[in-house]
Amino acid sequence: MSNAWKLREIVLMSILGVVFGVIYLMFYFFGQGLRNVLAPFGLGPFGYEVIFGIWFIVSIITAYIIRKPGAALISETIAATIQVLIGSPAGPRLILSGLIQGLGAEVVFAATRWKNYNLSVLVLAGVSAAIFSFVWGWFISGFAALSTSMVLAMFIVRCISGALLAGLLGKWISDQLANTGVLRSYALGKEWQAKREQKAS
Amino acid sequence: MLNSINPTMKAVTIFVPGLLLAFVFDPFTPFVYLIFTIAMTFLLSDLSLKRWLLIFTPFVFVALSFSWMTMLYSSDTFSDGRILFSFWWFEVTEGALMVALSLGLRSLCLVALSLMFVLTTDSTKFMLSLMQQAKLPPKLTFGILAGYRFLPTFKHEMEVLRQAHKIRGVGRAKGIKGRIQQFRRYAIPLLANAIRKAERVAVAMESKGFTGSTERSHYHKMTVRKRDWVFLSAFVFVFFATVFASYMFGYLNIFGRQF
Repeated sequence: MSNAWKLREIVLMSILGVVFGVIYLMFYFFGQGLRNVLAPFGLGPFGYEVIFGIWFIVSIITAYIIRKPGAALISETIAATIQVLIGSPAGPRLILSGLIQGLGAEVVFAATRWKNYNLSVLVLAGVSAAIFSFVWGWFISGFAALSTSMVLAMFIVRCISGALLAGLLGKWISDQLANTGVLRSYALGKEWQAKREQKAS
Repeated sequence: MLNSINPTMKAVTIFVPGLLLAFVFDPFTPFVYLIFTIAMTFLLSDLSLKRWLLIFTPFVFVALSFSWMTMLYSSDTFSDGRILFSFWWFEVTEGALMVALSLGLRSLCLVALSLMFVLTTDSTKFMLSLMQQAKLPPKLTFGILAGYRFLPTFKHEMEVLRQAHKIRGVGRAKGIKGRIQQFRRYAIPLLANAIRKAERVAVAMESKGFTGSTERSHYHKMTVRKRDWVFLSAFVFVFFATVFASYMFGYLNIFGRQF
């Protein structure tokens, strides 16, 4: 498989970034609701930790479908940029957050030389994105001021969320999409087609 | 005036103090910078105060909730000083209160900076500027812009899907399993349609001779002028001035180290 990007892959990546940018923004407000419920106990930010994985899902889906170097990194950055364009109150800083989260996922795919895309790699990519984003959050949100046990609890919740909501859910959605046949001209769809032909023969 | 600052430069202007603020753990510095940011927002643009407050106010509560948590669960580095009050199993010290205030004000400061950007920037111009100043590849830029233009149609498609389900007698889902089913019924067709659109756009772009080469001409030329640089340096300068002032007053605290 060649590593050069085709225009249609770039446009697909952009549009996935746009779609998930909107979804991300919706979850941002959903997280705010969760946070308000938990806030009286002093656990407000956990509202976000629980659903944090959803913010990595586009890197998993795009990398899984297109399977080219950079897919995870760039798609996540685009999704972040789109949130800024629609007017997320988090502002341009979000682009940097997206870049870092995407980098977390990309590192795992890079470690397999962009060849292996089975479930465990995807889950690992979700966890890795969680780790990267947590380190970034530690810096920018000042977690240094929180007690170690609290930071540890937040970290673990975020990693689990990354594994489930990004890794597992991302793979499930992509497989469902491949089932519809719209991905025929992309790497995942081709693999799907090959499997089907094998079964038929 | 804020509206006509080059979008990329404006983004950088918000980036730099936003990043530097992360080092500061005293309440004074973010408070002063917050006032400065809000003042600049209204001095340099004709935003209506009402609209701004409508967006900003919810974040005051977010900041309060974050402060609350920080105060109750602050780390040993910051929970020094005498105990102010205690309830249940929590003991709130002076240091904890200060760092809680600082983090709350920091998040408000970041929101104020972001609003200054978001409310005064045209999204198409931002993308064009990213392509022309930040050297974002045209293939990506126009892909994103095309996707961005599709956003309103998604709402319409959602409506069509809903009606299609209704007419076939598929009602609202009950229970968790039903909810998951319902999520699938909406999410997968919507995404599939988006992918089809992406393919069509790509074909259309290619057939109209779009090569994605960076050696292209631009209809909307975005430029960086002197005042963009002045704008950027003013924000960075005031940040360091604030830090210096807080050092002079003896408030400055960087990652728990008092200066």
